[in-house]
Amino acid sequence: MGSRQITEKSLAMLRSLPRLSLGNIRDNPGSRKNIKRGRGQHGGDKHGAGNKGSGQRQNYMRLGYETGNNPFYLRMPHEHYYKGHHHRRQYPPISLLEIQKLIDTNRLDITKPIDIASIVRSGLYNFFPDQKHFGIHLTDEGMDIFSAKVNIEVQWASEQVIAAIEKNGGVITTAYYDPHSLILLKNPKSFFQTGQAIPRRMIPPPDVIEYYTSAEMRGYLADPEKISEERLRLSQKYGYQLPILESDKNYNMLCERKDPRQIFYGLEPGWVINLRDKCILKPKDEELLQFYAS
Amino acid sequence: MAFAPIRTHVMRLIGQSGQYSTLLQRSMAYKSAISLETLYPNSSLKLTTPAFSPNPDEKFSGYIPIDKLDIKYSASSGPGGQNVNKVHTKVDLRFKVDEADWIPKEIRDKMLELHGKKLSKEGFLILRSDVTRSQQLNLADCLQKLRNIIREASVTKKEASPETAERIRQRHLKASRLRVAIKREDALRRAQRQPPTVVDL
Repeated sequence: MGSRQITEKSLAMLRSLPRLSLGNIRDNPGSRKNIKRGRGQHGGDKHGAGNKGSGQRQNYMRLGYETGNNPFYLRMPHEHYYKGHHHRRQYPPISLLEIQKLIDTNRLDITKPIDIASIVRSGLYNFFPDQKHFGIHLTDEGMDIFSAKVNIEVQWASEQVIAAIEKNGGVITTAYYDPHSLILLKNPKSFFQTGQAIPRRMIPPPDVIEYYTSAEMRGYLADPEKISEERLRLSQKYGYQLPILESDKNYNMLCERKDPRQIFYGLEPGWVINLRDKCILKPKDEELLQFYAS
Repeated sequence: MAFAPIRTHVMRLIGQSGQYSTLLQRSMAYKSAISLETLYPNSSLKLTTPAFSPNPDEKFSGYIPIDKLDIKYSASSGPGGQNVNKVHTKVDLRFKVDEADWIPKEIRDKMLELHGKKLSKEGFLILRSDVTRSQQLNLADCLQKLRNIIREASVTKKEASPETAERIRQRHLKASRLRVAIKREDALRRAQRQPPTVVDL
Protein backbone atom coordinates (compact mmCIF):
# COMPACT_ATOMS: atom_id res chain seq x y z
CA MET A 1 0.00 0.00 0.00
CA GLY A 2 1.33 3.42 -0.90
CA SER A 3 1.63 6.15 1.78
CA ARG A 4 -1.22 8.16 0.23
CA GLN A 5 -3.55 5.19 0.53
CA ILE A 6 -2.44 4.63 4.14
CA THR A 7 -3.29 8.21 5.14
CA GLU A 8 -6.62 8.05 3.33
CA LYS A 9 -7.53 4.77 5.05
CA SER A 10 -6.58 6.16 8.49
CA LEU A 11 -8.64 9.29 7.91
CA ALA A 12 -11.61 7.17 6.80
CA MET A 13 -11.26 5.05 9.96
CA LEU A 14 -11.20 8.17 12.15
CA ARG A 15 -14.39 9.42 10.50
CA SER A 16 -16.22 6.16 11.13
CA LEU A 17 -14.97 5.25 14.62
CA PRO A 18 -17.03 6.29 17.69
CA ARG A 19 -16.10 9.21 19.93
CA LEU A 20 -13.55 8.81 22.73
CA SER A 21 -15.29 8.52 26.12
CA LEU A 22 -14.65 7.01 29.53
CA GLY A 23 -16.40 3.89 28.31
CA ASN A 24 -13.98 3.06 25.49
CA ILE A 25 -10.55 3.73 27.02
CA ARG A 26 -8.35 1.55 29.20
CA ASP A 27 -5.20 1.96 31.30
CA ASN A 28 -1.71 1.41 29.84
CA PRO A 29 -0.65 -2.18 30.45
CA GLY A 30 1.32 -2.42 33.69
CA SER A 31 0.28 0.94 35.09
CA ARG A 32 -2.08 -0.63 37.60
CA LYS A 33 -1.00 -3.55 39.69
CA ASN A 34 -3.48 -5.79 41.44
CA ILE A 35 -2.99 -5.38 45.18
CA LYS A 36 -2.01 -8.73 46.63
CA ARG A 37 -3.89 -9.41 49.83
CA GLY A 38 -2.80 -12.38 51.95
CA ARG A 39 -6.52 -13.16 52.58
CA GLY A 40 -9.29 -14.52 50.46
CA GLN A 41 -9.46 -17.10 47.64
CA HIS A 42 -6.46 -15.79 45.57
CA GLY A 43 -4.05 -14.41 48.16
CA GLY A 44 -4.77 -16.80 51.06
CA ASP A 45 -4.14 -20.52 51.79
CA LYS A 46 -0.46 -21.08 50.75
CA HIS A 47 0.26 -17.30 50.26
CA GLY A 48 2.11 -17.80 46.96
CA ALA A 49 4.72 -20.16 48.47
CA GLY A 50 3.60 -23.36 46.72
CA ASN A 51 3.74 -26.88 48.22
CA LYS A 52 6.45 -28.31 50.52
CA GLY A 53 10.11 -27.96 49.50
CA SER A 54 12.52 -25.11 50.13
CA GLY A 55 10.06 -22.72 48.46
CA GLN A 56 7.36 -23.12 51.10
CA ARG A 57 9.83 -23.60 53.97
CA GLN A 58 11.89 -20.46 52.99
CA ASN A 59 15.07 -22.51 53.14
CA TYR A 60 16.44 -21.39 49.81
CA MET A 61 19.72 -22.46 48.19
CA ARG A 62 22.24 -19.67 47.59
CA LEU A 63 22.21 -17.91 44.21
CA GLY A 64 24.19 -19.89 41.63
CA TYR A 65 24.08 -23.17 43.57
CA GLU A 66 23.38 -26.12 41.27
CA THR A 67 22.50 -28.79 43.84
CA GLY A 68 26.07 -29.99 44.27
CA ASN A 69 27.65 -30.07 40.81
CA ASN A 70 30.32 -27.52 39.95
CA PRO A 71 28.27 -24.35 39.38
CA PHE A 72 28.61 -22.27 36.23
CA TYR A 73 30.13 -19.29 38.04
CA LEU A 74 32.93 -21.50 39.45
CA ARG A 75 33.62 -23.56 36.34
CA MET A 76 35.76 -20.88 34.69
CA PRO A 77 38.70 -19.88 36.93
CA HIS A 78 39.65 -16.22 37.06
CA GLU A 79 43.29 -15.19 37.31
CA HIS A 80 43.98 -11.60 38.21
CA TYR A 81 47.34 -11.46 36.49
CA TYR A 82 45.69 -11.09 33.10
CA LYS A 83 43.38 -8.30 34.13
CA GLY A 84 42.88 -5.85 31.31
CA HIS A 85 44.77 -7.97 28.75
CA HIS A 86 42.16 -7.18 26.12
CA HIS A 87 42.88 -3.46 26.55
CA ARG A 88 46.62 -3.83 26.00
CA ARG A 89 48.55 -3.79 22.75
CA GLN A 90 50.64 -6.82 21.76
CA TYR A 91 53.69 -6.90 19.52
CA PRO A 92 54.43 -10.45 18.35
CA PRO A 93 58.20 -10.85 18.40
CA ILE A 94 60.68 -11.74 15.71
CA SER A 95 64.37 -11.95 16.52
CA LEU A 96 67.37 -10.46 14.73
CA LEU A 97 68.49 -14.06 14.19
CA GLU A 98 65.30 -14.75 12.22
CA ILE A 99 65.80 -11.63 10.14
CA GLN A 100 69.39 -12.66 9.39
CA LYS A 101 68.16 -16.10 8.36
CA LEU A 102 65.53 -14.57 6.07
CA ILE A 103 68.19 -12.38 4.45
CA ASP A 104 70.67 -15.24 4.06
CA THR A 105 68.05 -17.49 2.46
CA ASN A 106 67.00 -14.69 0.06
CA ARG A 107 63.53 -14.42 1.50
CA LEU A 108 64.05 -10.73 2.32
CA ASP A 109 65.41 -8.18 -0.13
CA ILE A 110 67.86 -5.80 1.57
CA THR A 111 68.28 -3.60 -1.51
CA LYS A 112 64.85 -2.14 -0.65
CA PRO A 113 63.51 -0.82 2.67
CA ILE A 114 62.05 -3.55 4.87
CA ASP A 115 58.77 -3.07 6.66
CA ILE A 116 56.19 -5.35 8.25
CA ALA A 117 54.59 -6.07 4.88
CA SER A 118 57.85 -7.48 3.44
CA ILE A 119 58.50 -9.58 6.54
CA VAL A 120 55.00 -11.07 6.39
CA ARG A 121 55.44 -11.65 2.67
CA SER A 122 58.59 -13.70 3.36
CA GLY A 123 56.22 -16.30 4.73
CA LEU A 124 57.92 -17.00 8.05
CA TYR A 125 56.18 -14.45 10.22
CA ASN A 126 52.51 -13.82 10.80
CA PHE A 127 50.45 -11.58 13.01
CA PHE A 128 46.73 -11.02 13.53
CA PRO A 129 45.60 -7.38 13.82
CA ASP A 130 42.15 -8.41 15.06
CA GLN A 131 43.79 -10.05 18.09
CA LYS A 132 45.25 -6.78 19.36
CA HIS A 133 48.55 -7.32 17.53
CA PHE A 134 50.03 -3.94 16.73
CA GLY A 135 53.12 -4.96 14.82
CA ILE A 136 56.65 -6.31 15.13
CA HIS A 137 58.76 -6.40 18.27
CA LEU A 138 62.34 -6.91 17.17
CA THR A 139 64.08 -8.94 19.88
CA ASP A 140 67.78 -9.12 20.64
CA GLU A 141 68.37 -12.83 20.07
CA GLY A 142 71.12 -12.96 17.47
CA MET A 143 72.29 -9.38 17.95
CA ASP A 144 75.92 -10.55 18.26
CA ILE A 145 75.92 -12.29 14.87
CA PHE A 146 73.70 -9.86 12.96
CA SER A 147 75.68 -8.59 9.97
CA ALA A 148 73.30 -7.18 7.40
CA LYS A 149 73.03 -3.55 6.31
CA VAL A 150 69.29 -2.90 6.20
CA ASN A 151 66.75 -0.13 6.33
CA ILE A 152 64.17 -1.73 8.61
CA GLU A 153 60.94 -0.38 10.05
CA VAL A 154 59.42 -2.12 13.08
CA GLN A 155 56.94 -1.18 15.77
CA TRP A 156 59.01 -1.87 18.90
CA ALA A 157 62.74 -2.27 19.45
CA SER A 158 65.06 -2.03 22.41
CA GLU A 159 68.32 -0.12 22.60
CA GLN A 160 70.66 -3.08 21.99
CA VAL A 161 68.72 -4.08 18.88
CA ILE A 162 69.03 -0.54 17.53
CA ALA A 163 72.77 -0.66 18.29
CA ALA A 164 73.15 -4.03 16.51
CA ILE A 165 71.53 -2.67 13.34
CA GLU A 166 73.36 0.65 13.32
CA LYS A 167 76.69 -1.07 13.95
CA ASN A 168 76.40 -2.69 10.53
CA GLY A 169 75.62 0.60 8.84
CA GLY A 170 71.86 0.11 8.73
CA VAL A 171 68.95 2.29 9.73
CA ILE A 172 66.10 1.30 12.02
CA THR A 173 62.87 3.23 12.55
CA THR A 174 60.00 2.50 14.92
CA ALA A 175 56.63 3.42 13.41
CA TYR A 176 53.05 3.10 14.56
CA TYR A 177 50.28 1.60 12.44
CA ASP A 178 46.66 1.57 13.53
CA PRO A 179 44.83 -1.78 13.27
CA HIS A 180 43.10 -0.93 9.98
CA SER A 181 46.40 0.02 8.35
CA LEU A 182 47.91 -3.24 9.61
CA ILE A 183 45.11 -5.26 8.03
CA LEU A 184 45.92 -3.50 4.75
CA LEU A 185 49.66 -4.08 5.11
CA LYS A 186 49.27 -7.74 5.96
CA ASN A 187 47.63 -8.48 2.64
CA PRO A 188 47.87 -5.51 0.27
CA LYS A 189 46.70 -7.49 -2.76
CA SER A 190 43.34 -8.40 -1.26
CA PHE A 191 42.84 -4.78 -0.22
CA PHE A 192 43.64 -3.46 -3.70
CA GLN A 193 41.18 -5.96 -5.15
CA THR A 194 38.37 -4.39 -3.11
CA GLY A 195 38.81 -1.21 -5.12
CA GLN A 196 38.83 1.10 -2.10
CA ALA A 197 40.99 4.19 -1.81
CA ILE A 198 44.07 3.83 0.37
CA PRO A 199 43.25 5.44 3.72
CA ARG A 200 45.52 7.63 5.85
CA ARG A 201 47.48 6.09 8.69
CA MET A 202 46.33 7.28 12.10
CA ILE A 203 48.59 8.92 14.71
CA PRO A 204 49.68 6.89 17.76
CA PRO A 205 47.49 6.85 20.90
CA PRO A 206 48.46 9.20 23.78
CA ASP A 207 50.18 6.57 25.92
CA VAL A 208 52.68 5.65 23.23
CA ILE A 209 53.10 8.89 21.28
CA GLU A 210 56.08 9.76 23.46
CA TYR A 211 57.81 6.55 22.39
CA TYR A 212 57.34 7.33 18.71
CA THR A 213 58.50 10.94 19.03
CA SER A 214 61.66 10.03 20.96
CA ALA A 215 64.99 9.99 19.14
CA GLU A 216 66.39 7.32 21.51
CA MET A 217 63.87 4.82 20.19
CA ARG A 218 64.30 6.05 16.59
CA GLY A 219 60.63 7.05 16.45
CA TYR A 220 59.20 7.92 13.04
CA LEU A 221 57.98 11.26 14.42
CA ALA A 222 61.36 12.21 15.89
CA ASP A 223 63.74 14.80 14.48
CA PRO A 224 66.36 13.09 12.26
CA GLU A 225 69.04 15.50 13.51
CA LYS A 226 68.46 14.33 17.08
CA ILE A 227 68.48 10.75 15.84
CA SER A 228 71.94 11.38 14.34
CA GLU A 229 73.18 12.57 17.76
CA GLU A 230 71.65 9.51 19.42
CA ARG A 231 73.43 7.27 16.89
CA LEU A 232 76.75 8.70 18.06
CA ARG A 233 75.83 8.26 21.72
CA LEU A 234 74.85 4.64 21.14
CA SER A 235 78.07 3.92 19.25
CA GLN A 236 80.03 5.18 22.24
CA LYS A 237 77.91 3.20 24.67
CA TYR A 238 78.17 -0.11 22.82
CA GLY A 239 81.74 0.34 21.61
CA TYR A 240 81.73 0.40 17.81
CA GLN A 241 82.90 2.83 15.17
CA LEU A 242 79.89 4.74 13.86
CA PRO A 243 79.60 3.95 10.14
CA ILE A 244 79.45 7.07 7.98
CA LEU A 245 76.04 6.85 6.34
CA GLU A 246 76.52 9.82 4.00
CA SER A 247 79.38 8.17 2.13
CA ASP A 248 77.37 4.99 1.59
CA LYS A 249 76.29 4.43 -2.00
CA ASN A 250 72.87 3.28 -0.79
CA TYR A 251 72.35 6.37 1.35
CA ASN A 252 69.09 7.32 -0.37
CA MET A 253 67.63 3.84 0.04
CA LEU A 254 68.72 3.69 3.71
CA CYS A 255 67.18 7.05 4.49
CA GLU A 256 63.95 6.33 2.65
CA ARG A 257 61.05 6.72 5.02
CA LYS A 258 57.31 6.71 4.77
CA ASP A 259 55.37 9.85 5.57
CA PRO A 260 53.54 9.55 8.94
CA ARG A 261 50.24 9.28 7.05
CA GLN A 262 51.48 6.81 4.46
CA ILE A 263 50.83 3.09 4.67
CA PHE A 264 52.64 1.72 1.61
CA TYR A 265 55.97 2.78 0.17
CA GLY A 266 55.41 4.88 -2.92
CA LEU A 267 51.60 4.92 -2.66
CA GLU A 268 49.69 7.89 -1.31
CA PRO A 269 46.45 7.92 0.64
CA GLY A 270 43.50 8.51 -1.67
CA TRP A 271 44.82 6.44 -4.55
CA VAL A 272 42.86 3.51 -5.93
CA ILE A 273 45.06 0.74 -7.28
CA ASN A 274 43.60 -1.14 -10.22
CA LEU A 275 45.44 -4.45 -10.43
CA ARG A 276 43.45 -5.79 -13.38
CA ASP A 277 44.15 -2.87 -15.72
CA LYS A 278 47.51 -2.15 -14.01
CA CYS A 279 46.83 1.53 -13.35
CA ILE A 280 46.43 3.91 -10.43
CA LEU A 281 43.42 6.21 -10.07
CA LYS A 282 44.21 9.41 -8.25
CA PRO A 283 41.65 11.88 -6.88
CA LYS A 284 41.39 15.25 -8.58
CA ASP A 285 38.78 16.96 -6.39
CA GLU A 286 40.25 19.72 -4.19
CA GLU A 287 38.34 18.62 -1.11
CA LEU A 288 39.52 15.04 -1.43
CA LEU A 289 43.12 16.10 -2.05
CA GLN A 290 42.99 18.32 1.03
CA PHE A 291 41.53 15.53 3.14
CA TYR A 292 44.09 12.94 2.10
CA ALA A 293 46.95 15.36 2.65
CA SER A 294 45.74 16.39 6.11
CA MET B 1 48.47 16.69 -27.89
CA ALA B 2 51.77 17.25 -29.70
CA PHE B 3 53.60 18.50 -26.62
CA ALA B 4 52.77 15.50 -24.47
CA PRO B 5 55.29 13.01 -26.01
CA ILE B 6 58.08 15.67 -25.92
CA ARG B 7 57.29 16.45 -22.27
CA THR B 8 57.35 12.78 -21.25
CA HIS B 9 60.62 12.34 -23.16
CA VAL B 10 62.14 15.27 -21.25
CA MET B 11 60.82 13.93 -17.94
CA ARG B 12 62.31 10.53 -18.70
CA LEU B 13 65.69 12.11 -19.39
CA ILE B 14 65.53 14.03 -16.12
CA GLY B 15 64.52 10.86 -14.28
CA GLN B 16 67.42 8.88 -15.77
CA SER B 17 70.09 11.36 -14.68
CA GLY B 18 70.95 10.38 -11.12
CA GLN B 19 71.47 13.92 -9.88
CA TYR B 20 67.97 15.14 -10.55
CA SER B 21 66.08 11.97 -9.65
CA THR B 22 66.22 12.58 -5.90
CA LEU B 23 65.18 16.21 -6.39
CA LEU B 24 62.18 15.12 -8.42
CA GLN B 25 61.32 12.39 -5.93
CA ARG B 26 61.44 14.91 -3.08
CA SER B 27 59.17 17.39 -4.83
CA MET B 28 56.74 14.69 -5.99
CA ALA B 29 56.78 12.71 -2.75
CA TYR B 30 53.67 12.70 -0.62
CA LYS B 31 53.72 15.24 2.22
CA SER B 32 50.92 15.15 4.76
CA ALA B 33 50.05 17.75 7.39
CA ILE B 34 52.06 15.81 9.99
CA SER B 35 55.13 15.16 7.86
CA LEU B 36 58.55 15.73 9.40
CA GLU B 37 58.90 18.98 7.46
CA THR B 38 55.91 20.53 9.25
CA LEU B 39 56.88 19.03 12.62
CA TYR B 40 60.51 20.21 12.46
CA PRO B 41 60.68 23.18 10.10
CA ASN B 42 64.18 24.20 11.22
CA SER B 43 65.72 20.77 10.87
CA SER B 44 67.64 19.47 7.86
CA LEU B 45 65.78 16.12 8.20
CA LYS B 46 68.91 14.24 7.23
CA LEU B 47 70.60 11.33 8.98
CA THR B 48 74.23 12.35 9.42
CA THR B 49 77.30 11.25 11.32
CA PRO B 50 77.96 14.24 13.58
CA ALA B 51 81.32 14.94 15.14
CA PHE B 52 81.61 14.51 18.89
CA SER B 53 81.15 17.78 20.81
CA PRO B 54 83.24 17.60 24.00
CA ASN B 55 81.97 18.88 27.33
CA PRO B 56 83.87 22.18 27.93
CA ASP B 57 83.51 22.03 31.75
CA GLU B 58 85.19 18.64 32.09
CA LYS B 59 88.86 17.83 31.64
CA PHE B 60 88.08 14.58 29.88
CA SER B 61 86.10 15.14 26.68
CA GLY B 62 84.01 12.02 27.15
CA TYR B 63 84.92 10.41 23.83
CA ILE B 64 86.56 6.98 23.86
CA PRO B 65 88.19 6.07 20.53
CA ILE B 66 87.29 2.40 20.07
CA ASP B 67 90.05 1.79 17.49
CA LYS B 68 92.73 2.68 20.06
CA LEU B 69 91.50 -0.05 22.42
CA ASP B 70 92.59 -3.65 22.01
CA ILE B 71 89.44 -5.76 22.25
CA LYS B 72 89.46 -9.55 22.26
CA TYR B 73 86.60 -12.00 22.57
CA SER B 74 86.78 -15.38 24.21
CA ALA B 75 84.51 -18.05 25.62
CA SER B 76 82.95 -17.34 29.00
CA SER B 77 83.16 -19.54 32.04
CA GLY B 78 80.35 -21.21 33.91
CA PRO B 79 77.58 -23.62 32.99
CA GLY B 80 75.90 -23.58 29.62
CA GLY B 81 76.96 -26.65 27.69
CA GLN B 82 77.71 -26.32 24.00
CA ASN B 83 76.51 -22.74 23.84
CA VAL B 84 78.90 -21.36 26.47
CA ASN B 85 81.77 -23.30 24.88
CA LYS B 86 81.18 -22.07 21.36
CA VAL B 87 79.89 -18.53 21.73
CA HIS B 88 82.62 -15.98 22.56
CA THR B 89 80.80 -13.66 24.87
CA LYS B 90 83.65 -12.74 27.21
CA VAL B 91 85.21 -9.41 26.36
CA ASP B 92 88.83 -8.54 27.15
CA LEU B 93 89.56 -4.84 26.72
CA ARG B 94 93.09 -3.52 27.20
CA PHE B 95 95.11 -0.42 26.44
CA LYS B 96 98.41 1.13 27.54
CA VAL B 97 97.69 3.90 29.99
CA ASP B 98 100.92 5.80 29.13
CA GLU B 99 100.11 5.85 25.41
CA ALA B 100 96.46 6.82 25.85
CA ASP B 101 96.63 10.41 24.56
CA TRP B 102 92.84 10.65 24.49
CA ILE B 103 92.94 10.88 28.29
CA PRO B 104 94.36 14.17 29.70
CA LYS B 105 97.76 13.89 31.47
CA GLU B 106 96.45 14.69 34.98
CA ILE B 107 93.77 12.05 34.78
CA ARG B 108 96.25 9.51 33.44
CA ASP B 109 98.60 10.21 36.38
CA LYS B 110 95.76 9.85 38.85
CA MET B 111 94.74 6.57 37.18
CA LEU B 112 98.29 5.23 37.56
CA GLU B 113 98.21 6.30 41.20
CA LEU B 114 94.91 4.52 41.87
CA HIS B 115 95.32 1.45 39.66
CA GLY B 116 99.08 1.35 39.12
CA LYS B 117 99.44 -1.96 40.93
CA LYS B 118 96.75 -3.53 38.73
CA LEU B 119 98.50 -2.84 35.41
CA SER B 120 100.18 -5.69 33.58
CA LYS B 121 103.95 -5.94 33.15
CA GLU B 122 103.86 -4.06 29.84
CA GLY B 123 101.70 -1.36 31.39
CA PHE B 124 98.31 -2.42 30.01
CA LEU B 125 95.13 -1.73 31.93
CA ILE B 126 92.97 -4.85 31.46
CA LEU B 127 89.19 -4.83 31.81
CA ARG B 128 87.20 -8.03 31.44
CA SER B 129 83.49 -8.72 31.43
CA ASP B 130 81.36 -11.83 31.07
CA VAL B 131 78.28 -10.81 33.06
CA THR B 132 75.71 -11.29 30.30
CA ARG B 133 75.12 -13.83 27.57
CA SER B 134 75.73 -11.29 24.88
CA GLN B 135 79.06 -10.06 23.53
CA GLN B 136 77.58 -6.65 22.72
CA LEU B 137 76.29 -6.10 26.24
CA ASN B 138 79.54 -7.34 27.78
CA LEU B 139 81.48 -4.86 25.66
CA ALA B 140 79.16 -2.11 26.85
CA ASP B 141 79.83 -3.25 30.43
CA CYS B 142 83.61 -3.08 29.87
CA LEU B 143 83.32 0.43 28.46
CA GLN B 144 81.19 1.48 31.41
CA LYS B 145 83.85 0.14 33.78
CA LEU B 146 86.46 2.14 31.86
CA ARG B 147 84.34 5.28 32.11
CA ASN B 148 83.95 4.72 35.85
CA ILE B 149 87.73 4.43 36.27
CA ILE B 150 88.30 7.65 34.33
CA ARG B 151 85.59 9.36 36.35
CA GLU B 152 87.12 8.21 39.64
CA ALA B 153 90.47 9.56 38.55
CA SER B 154 89.10 12.89 37.37
CA VAL B 155 86.92 13.88 40.34
CA THR B 156 88.77 16.15 42.78
CA LYS B 157 87.40 16.29 46.26
CA LYS B 158 86.55 19.85 47.21
CA GLU B 159 88.33 20.98 50.35
CA ALA B 160 86.07 22.22 53.11
CA SER B 161 86.28 25.93 53.95
CA PRO B 162 87.60 26.88 57.42
CA GLU B 163 84.05 27.76 58.59
CA THR B 164 82.75 24.34 57.53
CA ALA B 165 85.77 22.59 59.12
CA GLU B 166 85.12 24.46 62.37
CA ARG B 167 81.42 23.52 62.25
CA ILE B 168 82.33 19.83 61.70
CA ARG B 169 84.77 19.97 64.69
CA GLN B 170 82.11 21.51 66.93
CA ARG B 171 79.64 18.79 65.87
CA HIS B 172 82.15 16.05 66.80
CA LEU B 173 82.71 17.69 70.22
CA LYS B 174 78.98 18.01 70.87
CA ALA B 175 78.43 14.36 69.95
CA SER B 176 81.22 13.33 72.35
CA ARG B 177 79.75 15.48 75.14
CA LEU B 178 76.30 13.92 74.72
CA ARG B 179 77.76 10.41 74.58
CA VAL B 180 79.71 10.92 77.78
CA ALA B 181 76.71 12.49 79.55
CA ILE B 182 74.51 9.48 78.69
CA LYS B 183 77.26 7.14 79.94
CA ARG B 184 77.44 9.05 83.22
CA GLU B 185 73.66 8.87 83.69
CA ASP B 186 73.61 5.12 83.02
CA ALA B 187 76.44 4.58 85.49
CA LEU B 188 74.56 6.57 88.16
CA ARG B 189 71.39 4.54 87.55
CA ARG B 190 73.28 1.26 87.88
CA ALA B 191 75.05 2.47 91.06
CA GLN B 192 71.67 3.42 92.65
CA ARG B 193 70.40 -0.14 92.13
CA GLN B 194 73.11 -1.47 94.45
CA PRO B 195 72.23 -1.90 98.15
CA PRO B 196 73.57 0.93 100.36
CA THR B 197 76.97 0.45 102.04
CA VAL B 198 77.73 1.03 105.73
CA VAL B 199 79.29 4.42 104.80
CA ASP B 200 75.95 5.73 103.28
CA LEU B 201 73.91 4.67 106.30
